[in-house]
Amino acid sequence: MPDIALQRSGLSRERRDALLGLLLIAPTVLVLGAVIVYPLLSAIALSFQSVYTPTLEGHWVGLANYRELLGSGGFWAALLTTAIWTVGTLTLQILIGVAMALLLHQNIIFRSLARSLVLFPYFLSTVVAVLVWRWLFNDLYGIVNHGLMAAGIIDAPVNWLGAMPNAMLSIMVVGAWKFFPFVVIAVLARLQTIPEALYEAARIDGAGPISRFFDVTLPQLREVLTIVILLRTVWDFKEFDLIYLMTGGGPVNGTRTLPLIVYQQAFGLNQMGMAAAYAVSMMLVMLVFMLAYLQRARKAAA
Amino acid sequence: MVQVVFEKVSKAYGDTVAIPGLDLMIESGEFVSLLGPSGCGKSTTLRMLAGLEQPTSGNIRIGDRDVVNLAPAARDIAMVFQSYALYPHMTVAENICYPLKKRGVAKADRAIKLAEVAALLQLEPLLARKPGQLSGGQQQRVALGRALVREPSVFLLDEPLSNLDASLRAHMRAELIELHRRLGKTMVYVTHDQLEAMTMSSRIAVMRAGELQQFAPPDEIYNRPANVFVAGFIGTPAMALADGSLADGGGHLVVHVGPLAVALPYAAAARPAAVTVGIRPEDVLVGEGPWQAQVRLVEPTGYETIVALDAGGLALTARVPGSKALRVGETVPFDLRRERIHLFDKSDGRRWKPAGR
Ligand SMILES: Nc1ncnc2c1ncn2[C@@H]1O[C@H](COP(=O)(O)OP(=O)(O)OP(=O)(O)O)[C@@H](O)[C@H]1O
Ligand SMILES: [Mg+2]
Repeated sequence: MPDIALQRSGLSRERRDALLGLLLIAPTVLVLGAVIVYPLLSAIALSFQSVYTPTLEGHWVGLANYRELLGSGGFWAALLTTAIWTVGTLTLQILIGVAMALLLHQNIIFRSLARSLVLFPYFLSTVVAVLVWRWLFNDLYGIVNHGLMAAGIIDAPVNWLGAMPNAMLSIMVVGAWKFFPFVVIAVLARLQTIPEALYEAARIDGAGPISRFFDVTLPQLREVLTIVILLRTVWDFKEFDLIYLMTGGGPVNGTRTLPLIVYQQAFGLNQMGMAAAYAVSMMLVMLVFMLAYLQRARKAAA
Repeated sequence: MVQVVFEKVSKAYGDTVAIPGLDLMIESGEFVSLLGPSGCGKSTTLRMLAGLEQPTSGNIRIGDRDVVNLAPAARDIAMVFQSYALYPHMTVAENICYPLKKRGVAKADRAIKLAEVAALLQLEPLLARKPGQLSGGQQQRVALGRALVREPSVFLLDEPLSNLDASLRAHMRAELIELHRRLGKTMVYVTHDQLEAMTMSSRIAVMRAGELQQFAPPDEIYNRPANVFVAGFIGTPAMALADGSLADGGGHLVVHVGPLAVALPYAAAARPAAVTVGIRPEDVLVGEGPWQAQVRLVEPTGYETIVALDAGGLALTARVPGSKALRVGETVPFDLRRERIHLFDKSDGRRWKPAGR
């Protein structure tokens, strides 16, 4: 008799269920603790120390790292650069992504082929993509300059990666090329759930193609675009490899975003503590977007 | 005055022919139902009238205009969809005013129209809500409102009640009848529910596989179905249909169907070789009569009892008033209302009637 056994064990059924529950989530909690909470806490701890990267030896300096960071122009300049990069590339991603999704949603020929092709940049390794784009942008033998000159838009080769603001524009374009497929996928999925009858009703009500986009399509895309923008903001904000490989932060510090400073501090200047302070500050900025995202996601789920 | 005309209208989707060739004339102010089984082309017909679908060939006229090449918005029609198709992010008021806004009606005039429609459909308390916050019946009324507000000359409704529960459907049916009576506008109503078609229509167009079977007022469709299909499709429980033959019984016609020889109260000189005999359940009188049948199935519905009978191999259905105590297997006598027996020529399925009747 299970009931008798229960009573004998001295535990109520509820207590036993609660214990079992704890046991079941324990592995997840442990793994999350090991790969997220522990590194996070040690990064925060590092940011209060002065640490020499090669030996990882250091001493406690309290808030000195933060004081230096906030006092230096470098942090604020990089924050601005990061913001410009994020806003610029994200805007391009959204515009290209939505336009492409609308195009793919139409009944064009080779639609399924086009749908797979569109994903190509997203799946391409960043290193490969950057190598190709650096070739395209090369000022001496790149096809971009060649094409623009042949079309008569420019008279002399443009230095795309070695001068500002060209370098910033270039990485924005490459970022847009690399990441717009994410927008396409999310938007296309949503487009397919918009009932056809809404468009038919709008046609009968006298709405032309432009009205139908703004009155039917766009309102239905609002939720998904908000989520996409929040997610991509965080991801673009912390983008490292694409920028590092394209320009290395240059010319001078023209495209040096916060993730690049973190890397520079940690492995260029061997100041792990300072790097951690930059990383933690960056995290605080991103936290704002994360919280907005979580709130949105919760609202969407409700 | 003729309001809507279909002239040899056909529609093919690739290789599938949905409508082979339709001729239909709808009078001004009529309430016409397009009725037929699923896939018979009712929606296609309505959508061609709305301009959402282009006919493969043929002509459609609304009023005195050819509309085939006109955009939906230019056709002077409004449509109510089965799914209502309300704009989810707009309030009820915005939904109703949308067609006016798109036609450039001034804001003040829109407000006046909105007030009129809201009063007519009792939508006043709901104007600030979004469609998601409304019940199915309320959404239905908003969809009607959006159609009404433009005062089109033809209303198109594609199964507007099919998403509602039974009692609400009965209620909305009554509201639609009342609305039609008050507005006097032409309405074309698609349904596969014969009760809706029978109760609301001035005329019913019965369709099958894209072809018009009969276009007539409800009582005529019921009492004088034009062919075997209409006879079997209209009426619940369905009319019993069986092969039979006609013979001359000396001054009157005799129908041989199953083991029965039924003398009809009329004569005919010329008659088809073979016929399909149709007998409605209410024309089978159980209790007394010259013939015997075995009870196969008893379905009491409260007000009446539906009884399936087997008269020597001939399957009949009867409606018996009340919840009569009939037992399955029991043998009962029955009679037929002979003057109401339907005859169809077996060679083409058309209703047959002797000359002079
Ligand atoms: N877009 C389409 N492509 C191909 N065939 C279609 C299309 N729309 C309708 N059909 C076909 O045309 C025929 C008529 O369809 P329609 O939608 O008019 O039927 P319906 O009478 O409205 O049926 P239901 O009662 O199920 O709504 C059907 O055989 C259907 O399969
Ligand atoms: Mg239909």
